[in-house]
This record gives sequence, C-alpha cells and structure tokens, in this order.
Amino acid sequence: MIDLSVRIGGLQLANPILTASGTFGYGSKFADFMDLNQLGGIVTKTITLESRPGNPAPRICETPAGMLNSIGLPNLGVARFIEEKWPFLSTLRTAVIVNVAGRSMDDFVAAIEALEPVAGIAAYELNYSCPNVKEGGLAFSSEAQVAAKLTRKIRGVTRRPLIAKLTPNVARIGEIGRACEASGADAVSAINTLVGMAVDIRTRKPRLATVTGGLSGPAIRPVALAKVYELVQTLSIPVIGIGGIATATDALEFIIAGAAAVQIGTAGFMNPCAAAEVVKGLEAYCHQERVESLAELRGSLRL
Amino acid sequence: MTKSMLQARVIAVNAAAAGTVRLTLEAPDWAAAAHAGHFVNIQVPQRCDLLWRRPFSLHRADPVRGTIDLLIAAVGRGSQALARCQTGDRLDAIGLLGNTFPLDPAAREIIMVAGGIGIAPFDLLLQDAAEIRCRKTLFYGTRCAEALCRSPLWQEHGVEFHLATEDGSAGYRGRVLEPLRRYLESDQDRSGRILYGCGPTPMLAGLCALALETGFRGFISVENLMACGFGACVGCPVELRVPRPDGQKYLLACKDGPVFPIEEILLHD
Repeated sequence: MIDLSVRIGGLQLANPILTASGTFGYGSKFADFMDLNQLGGIVTKTITLESRPGNPAPRICETPAGMLNSIGLPNLGVARFIEEKWPFLSTLRTAVIVNVAGRSMDDFVAAIEALEPVAGIAAYELNYSCPNVKEGGLAFSSEAQVAAKLTRKIRGVTRRPLIAKLTPNVARIGEIGRACEASGADAVSAINTLVGMAVDIRTRKPRLATVTGGLSGPAIRPVALAKVYELVQTLSIPVIGIGGIATATDALEFIIAGAAAVQIGTAGFMNPCAAAEVVKGLEAYCHQERVESLAELRGSLRL
Repeated sequence: MTKSMLQARVIAVNAAAAGTVRLTLEAPDWAAAAHAGHFVNIQVPQRCDLLWRRPFSLHRADPVRGTIDLLIAAVGRGSQALARCQTGDRLDAIGLLGNTFPLDPAAREIIMVAGGIGIAPFDLLLQDAAEIRCRKTLFYGTRCAEALCRSPLWQEHGVEFHLATEDGSAGYRGRVLEPLRRYLESDQDRSGRILYGCGPTPMLAGLCALALETGFRGFISVENLMACGFGACVGCPVELRVPRPDGQKYLLACKDGPVFPIEEILLHD
C-alpha cells in the first residue's frame, strides 16, 4: 500500500491532488464524470461576501497550449454559497477547501467570519491574486506588507488552515511568500495566472472584454515550476504547486521540486477526469519506482 | 441524461457543402437521448497546441443505428483538422451537453431561421417535431449557393424553404432576415407560430430584434466561445435582457443554454 497522504498545517489530505479554484465550480459539475472522493481535495470557486455578476463577454481566449481568462469572480456570495452549494460539498469525504476573496481587507475578513460557523470546511485558500477584478485582487499579493497585514487580520478570526494563493506577476514571489508565512499562513499555493493579452487583428479589438486577463494551461507550467521551486527554497511552510498540470508526470515534476501538493486547473476543462487520472498515475509511478510514501519523493530533486 | 466521455468511432465522412463535412459518429447512448439543441465537445486530435475542445450541435440522430451526425464547417484551425478526419478514426468527445429547443405540440407553424452552419440543429428539430402536424418553414441564408447544406429531410417533412445568399447565387440576394421580415409581416396572426433560430451572433441579434418588433415568440441557439462546455470554466456568459433581482446579469451558454427564449437574453452584434 503506497502512502500518498500529506499534511499541510492542520490539513490532512488522502493524496496530494487538489483541484484549482475557479476551474472546478463547486464540484457538482464534475460528479457526472468521476468519483470526487478519489481526490485529495477540492478547492471551490472563489467566494466573496457579496455576490458578483462577473465580467462581460468575451471572457476567454485560446492561446498556444493555453488560454486567457477574465471571468471576474462571479459567485453567489457567502450566504447563498452556504445555503445552495455547501449541502452538496458537505456530503463529500474529500477535503473541501473554500477559496475566498474580498474587495477590501474588511470585506475579506467579513467573508471568512461568515464562513466560520460552517462545519466541515477543511481550510481556506486566500485569493490574494486574481488579476481580473478591478478592486483588491492582485493588490493583496503584490506587496509584502499588504499581504502580511491581511494575513494577520484573517489569522485573527480563524483557527482553520490558511493557504495564501500567490500571484507570479511580481518581481520576487519569495518575499511575498515569506510575508505570508511570518503572518500566520499555514501554506502558500502558486501560481495564479500570468497577466496576458491577445488581439483580434481583423477587428483590432482585444480578445478579452477587460483587455488583459490571466494565462493558464500547459504554456505556463515551466514558469510555475520555477516559481514553486523558488518558494520551496525560501519558505519553511508547505508549497502547493499550480500551473499547467495535466498529467501525473507534470504533478511529479512539482513534487520532486518540493511541492507538498498540487492543483489541477485548466486541464479539467478539456478532460474532466484529469485530476482523478493524476491520482492513478501517481500510484502507478510509485509502484514502478518502488516508492512507499510521497515523503520520499518530495523535494528529492538531484542537483 | 448523465454527461459522459466517449472515444467515438467515425462511421462516415460526407461532403455536405463546400468546406463543410457531415461526420457520422457511433454513439448509441447519445443517439437515443439526443434532441435539437444538444451539442458535443470534441478534442482536436494530434493538436496539443489547440487546448480547447470544439463544440458542435447535433445535426441528426439515428437511435436504430446508434449514430449521431455533426456538420463541421472548416473555418478555423480546429474545425479544419476535424473536417479532415477519416472513417475509422476515433474522436474524443464529451456529451450530451446543453439544453434543447422546446416544442409545442399545439404549434400551428414552426419557423426555422438558419444562418451558415447554424443550419446544423434543424434536421434534428424536424426529427423531434415529426409528430407535430403543423406547417414547417425554413429560412436559410449562406454566403453563396455552394455553401448551402441541403437536406433530404426538408422534403420528407414537407418543409417550405426560403433560401438567401449574400451573392445572390441561390434564392434571395441578401441577408435571410429580409425575406423573413416580409414573411412575418405578411401574416399578422402570430398565434401558435414559433421562431427557432441558430446562426452567427449578429444574425441572432437581428432575429431577436425582429421577433420583439413583430411580436413573434421563439427560441434561439447561441454560439459562444467555451473552454469546457459543462459549466466549469464560466467563460461563455450570455447577457440577461433584464438583470435578476439578486444582481445576476449573465447566464451560461453551455449550461443554461445554448437554447434561450428570445425575450430572455440580450445579444450584441
């Protein structure tokens, strides 16, 4: 029996494969295709205190081996999330991590406070880094002091594990990660999307209504891996790798580079079973390489 | 029915018009459950640079043979690659996706309005409406005569069809909405007469405006970019004509549609 389990702060996962926020809805859309309990965990689409309608069309654009998106965090707001989405999520045996964002620090903290009475939330992932909302979003993880202040405020209202999701659109991601670590984050996840842009040369219009958006998919994987490696070198808290991971091979690259867990995002759009297939592929690799536990692999990069 | 993934075998590839092929795929479960409006999302084989699947409306379904037909117009890199596939190939498909055109058993007339490859769902609509004994009319516009996908089902189902081409090489010269307008205005009795539209967004926007102006009711199937097709990417918003009281401004083409009542949504041309 191979031990794929992993512990991230107070968060215990059966395996290191999670789904990435904003790509997996609230899980139910994928239940037609696979047993969600095969996964280490699910990270929900971002929840904000008040509902948000999202951005106008066009919201997405295909790019070479990737895609741009500017969805704008449409969601029902915390109260309706608890009422309408949580009943399904609460039936799952897999860990459910709720991703949260806010327009301001107070707004952010209020959203967490509103989620606190809900039993069964395994952890919060703090969306410090969505590039597609006018207010807040990116600003929270662009500056170390701001990230530190917000993390401290949130740490003050919850004992649940906190995962700070970081943007790669900064000069030194390690500094932001360190600020989060010093302020009470239990882990960081990286990377969120890279800011990108595309133009339709026939109409001369940008291909996204918001002009720029976030790049995801296989195109960003090497960048993501380098950023995750930088964070692993810099921090002592666990790093969750995100960015273009579609197969077990991709996931293993991140784990060997030191990631405690990984998230599958864009790949699930094309292959809704991608995350479950990565779990199977990890088991097969461990068998083949005679690896008994994930801990043997984590950070085993040979330099 | 539950959505599923399938390695669907290509049974036949036939030319439907210039630059358009009709693919027949083996998909018994989908053939049995298919209705007009449903779509499948197909991965472009051997093209890892093309990330997204390509969505296609179901064109016909044969529950006895267990096959579905798609019309594929080779317009972009993905559709060009798919249009080149051959009998015996397997295509990675997700289906059945989306909702379907509502039918009224008491309808007096079904008025289909198609632009370009938007003709695709109307053979299946004729199959769905086979038991409804009413007048069936088709208004169908393309760029030129060679681009018309003519169907034997038109005659089988007694469809009165009106063609329009932009270059005048067949039927009316100009946009299909022009003869449609005259037709709708020539008989003001709107009871039991329902519009069904599918085509490019500017045409659908024009159809919605015409329907609202003349007081006809109906449904349109929208086309939209989509990364997933099953509600996860949230990339295919369709604007509500009137925002909901709770602040909701958009529906999703893949999950709430692709078929919407004309009066519900607002398209921008």
